[in-house]
Amino acid sequence: MKPFAYQRAEAADSAVATISRTGAAYLAGGTNIVDLMKLGVTAPDLLIDVTGLPLRDIEALPDGGMRVGALTANSDLATDPVLRTRFPAVALALLSGASAQLRNRATIGGNLLQRTRCRYFVDVTKSCNKRRPGAGCAAREGEHTDLAILGASEQCVATNPSDLAVALALVDARVELLTEGGPASMSVHEFFRLPGDRPERDTNLPPGALITAVVLPATPIARMSTYRKVRDRSSFAFAAGSVAAALDVRDGVVQDVRLAYGAVAHRPWRAYAAERSLRGAPATVDNFERAADEELAAAKPLRDNGYKVPLIRNLTVGVLRGMTEASW
Amino acid sequence: MSTTTVGAGAGIGTSPLRPDGTLKVTGEFAFSSDLWADRMLWGATLRSPHPRARIVGIDLTGAVATTGVHAVLTAEDVPGKKLYGLEHADQPVLAMGQVRYAGEPVAIVAADHPETARRAAAAIVVEYEVLPPITDPVAAIDAEETVHDRGNLLRHVPIRKGSLEATAPVVVTGEYEVGMQDQAFLGPESGLAIPAEDGGVDLFIATQWLHGDLGQVADCLGLPPSKVRLSLAGVGGAFGGREDVSMQVHACMLALHTGRPVKMVYSREESFHGHVHRHPARMWYEHGADLDGRLVYVKARIVLDGGAYASTSMAVVANATTLGVGPYKVPNVVVDGYAVYTNNPPCGAMRGFGAVQACFAYESQMDKLAAALGLDPVDVRVRNALEPGDTMPTGQVVHGPAPVADLLDRVRAAAPPAQRGDDLRELPGGVANTTHGEGVRRGVGYGIGIKNVGFSEGFDDYSTARVRLEVVGGEPAAVVHTAAAEVGQGLVTIQAQIVRTELGVEQVTVATADTTVGSAGSSSASRQTYVTGGAVKAACEAVRAAVLRRAGRDDVTLRGGRLVTEGGEVVADLVDVLGDRPIEETVEWRHKPTHPLDPRTGQGDAHVQYAFAAHRATVDVDVELGLVRVVEIATAQDVGRALHPQSVRGQIAGGTAQGLGLAVMEEIQVVDGLIRNPSFTDYLIPTILDVPPMRIDVLELGDPSAPYGLRGVGEPPTISSTPAIVAAIRAATGLALNRVPVRPEHLTGT
Repeated sequence: MKPFAYQRAEAADSAVATISRTGAAYLAGGTNIVDLMKLGVTAPDLLIDVTGLPLRDIEALPDGGMRVGALTANSDLATDPVLRTRFPAVALALLSGASAQLRNRATIGGNLLQRTRCRYFVDVTKSCNKRRPGAGCAAREGEHTDLAILGASEQCVATNPSDLAVALALVDARVELLTEGGPASMSVHEFFRLPGDRPERDTNLPPGALITAVVLPATPIARMSTYRKVRDRSSFAFAAGSVAAALDVRDGVVQDVRLAYGAVAHRPWRAYAAERSLRGAPATVDNFERAADEELAAAKPLRDNGYKVPLIRNLTVGVLRGMTEASW
Repeated sequence: MSTTTVGAGAGIGTSPLRPDGTLKVTGEFAFSSDLWADRMLWGATLRSPHPRARIVGIDLTGAVATTGVHAVLTAEDVPGKKLYGLEHADQPVLAMGQVRYAGEPVAIVAADHPETARRAAAAIVVEYEVLPPITDPVAAIDAEETVHDRGNLLRHVPIRKGSLEATAPVVVTGEYEVGMQDQAFLGPESGLAIPAEDGGVDLFIATQWLHGDLGQVADCLGLPPSKVRLSLAGVGGAFGGREDVSMQVHACMLALHTGRPVKMVYSREESFHGHVHRHPARMWYEHGADLDGRLVYVKARIVLDGGAYASTSMAVVANATTLGVGPYKVPNVVVDGYAVYTNNPPCGAMRGFGAVQACFAYESQMDKLAAALGLDPVDVRVRNALEPGDTMPTGQVVHGPAPVADLLDRVRAAAPPAQRGDDLRELPGGVANTTHGEGVRRGVGYGIGIKNVGFSEGFDDYSTARVRLEVVGGEPAAVVHTAAAEVGQGLVTIQAQIVRTELGVEQVTVATADTTVGSAGSSSASRQTYVTGGAVKAACEAVRAAVLRRAGRDDVTLRGGRLVTEGGEVVADLVDVLGDRPIEETVEWRHKPTHPLDPRTGQGDAHVQYAFAAHRATVDVDVELGLVRVVEIATAQDVGRALHPQSVRGQIAGGTAQGLGLAVMEEIQVVDGLIRNPSFTDYLIPTILDVPPMRIDVLELGDPSAPYGLRGVGEPPTISSTPAIVAAIRAATGLALNRVPVRPEHLTGT
């Protein structure tokens, strides 16, 4: 590991000022960045430990939304009774991630910044455009069963590893920031990005900005929401594919629906085409299948990850069917 | 170092508390990675990033110039033999002019801090001329390009029995593949070497075979064996992965060079590169049977990828081949096994040792045969089941119990698990809330396997035990000393139980295993309770005979610290007989000899003992999502005699879980000679949520030729659980599934 300096942040604004000036990195739970530093994937000169900052509150907002401090531990948020009522998909996504120990340590803000699990990204002896722009992408022809089927570019086929992010995309969460210019806010949809020709950028977070909170806007449909994840073993594994869904069915007709997919793209993938297809349609398995197929028509699987297309289709149908039956 | 006193009062056949048990579950057990010495330096290893390359030059300047570095050594600094190996010395201590696999050690560094050592190693500049790696073992057999000068074929084992031209009315064929499994022990390779005043070295090491290490380390250091002393440090699991030398020579070289203690501990990633793995296998099988399902012939070709160095590949391929038709009567056999050099990571010993790969293939074939004939899969197995007195494909007659049909009947008759409930934890995907049971189908599958116990093919397989009986604090007390490695299997407890049974004393101390006593052989091949247990028993018998001589009696036994006649009359106290003159006996004990295989026909009594286990697996498969939940395992195994019944069940449960891992998740993914998943994030081993409840049926049929009638227990459960689980997944899905591990992408329709 490259030598680095370590500081504890006294206040958020001074930390932001230092990071913006020096290109240093924030340290919160450390469950991802420390591993990446050990592997030499990232090598900041300075780590600023923000865990002492007062960013741990979970607020139930009077309008039905929630505001979650960035340093809230995943496990604390997952067990929050208000969250479980208002946003069950978010709680389920959190609980399906990592292990109990990691969830105790990891933070909500840090979760949004975790890096891809692409094996070529974490192996510094291999070419990876995300780690070293212009180096090439070894994953396209290599081991890529876990990688993207949607929205990838020639330069990068990485997937976002977060479960939480999928549920946040479902509920149109907003990310609150502190930048050098002061407080700012952006939608989670603006926050995450596709790789395009800038695969080195995971997010559109402004340089130096500190995530201070995640806001879950009041979303009545989210009370009927869920999250399902497919993985190689029963716990402590990243997703092969996942679906977050919210559904409002009345008299057998879809009044409103939201769908988001995980482990299929460089960002959590909101399935707008599927949602459009379903809104106002009878809640039938045929329609669920058609909706998923419309969304997945854009899929461009690689040699060995084509299984994700039927996986996501079946997962979509299974989740929506389950929710429909529950609502009858 | 430490000695161990095992809980009082418990002889063989009982389950006394393990002395290491509480320490391990409370985190207080001292593993080898916890070793410490004053003025200790830390070692680090520079490894090749390339699977095949010529070394054009090595520039050590950057490492030598690093503050805190005490030594930087390369192949030129190896004092003795530059090559080592368990069976065939072909592996360089440090690379000489070329590298043959990614991860091969090139240079070693000692520094005053582990991070300094790592950085110094990274500062070494090696100029490589990279060559295209040889990675396909099947193509490598006849390839012109070779990994070593001797060619790529490490060993070909042919087995010929009966007619080569046998034909049959029912023929099933199949091609099968087994991925590279890792032992995935939790304690990474580690050890501490301390230079001694006599110019020798003391090495405290987590290993499976102290004397196996000793011979190789002394040769490479150019020291007489008497100057290299090894003591067993706390071992965090082994499963075969510690049978080969890893950092033993390196740590000793650095200690001798610097004159200071040197500790080395591998990281998890380094561990994946630093030990051998289970051989990936490709296997082609053809089974011919009559219309009643009786086997007429089996033809098979088995290719094992040995990777860059020999390790134990020659013995592994002999096992895969000699056990290659399974526990069945087969009159005509043509099996050819090949172990092949490639530039992939070296492969060697892992629980099951060749028998695992073959069992996946022959059990898949038995299911195919049953399907072709419209027979029940258990019926077709029972119809062909090996019985005592039958001959193996090697011509070896099976002596003693061989309850193949009985084991199958038992797992078949076990009550089936309950139907699926609504509890998410019982569904594929478990608490991930993945499925609510819409696309879930249940399947049941069976598997039975055979394993040899002990070292084979004429190897002089023995163990040495020293037992001392003396009076301590007015009580008779025994000390038992062997070099046998406790790797977590419970051998320390067993040794004390045997002494207690044989000598009738309560107080038994098990001395730390080291090389001041003769070799115990390896803690592998399911052999250690058999062979070291046999040696301890024999040493106790020698001590008892000496006690009786001293007492002038030949009609008494030792019970409860007394000399007692058969009628129960106490004739003397052991304390009085011993007085202040301890009795100590050292015995070298051997099982019955084995014999080499004929190199052309594979005929010969190569194995000591056969062990058998059967599994029935019940699985729920979510066919839409490709998820498998193993619902229950029923298993039956003949262990001859259970010396510690709780440990026996532990071995059976643990072995079954390791077979489950191979069935549905565990694989080191190697692409172009490079390991793509060297971490426990990416190499998945089953968690407790993945391991189902097990019904374990332990038979104690007694092998008349083994100590106490026992039968090696550690490996058989790993062997047959894999094919049983895959058979159950096939039953649920109708898919062919000719490769393990089976993963979600193999199960979702595309």
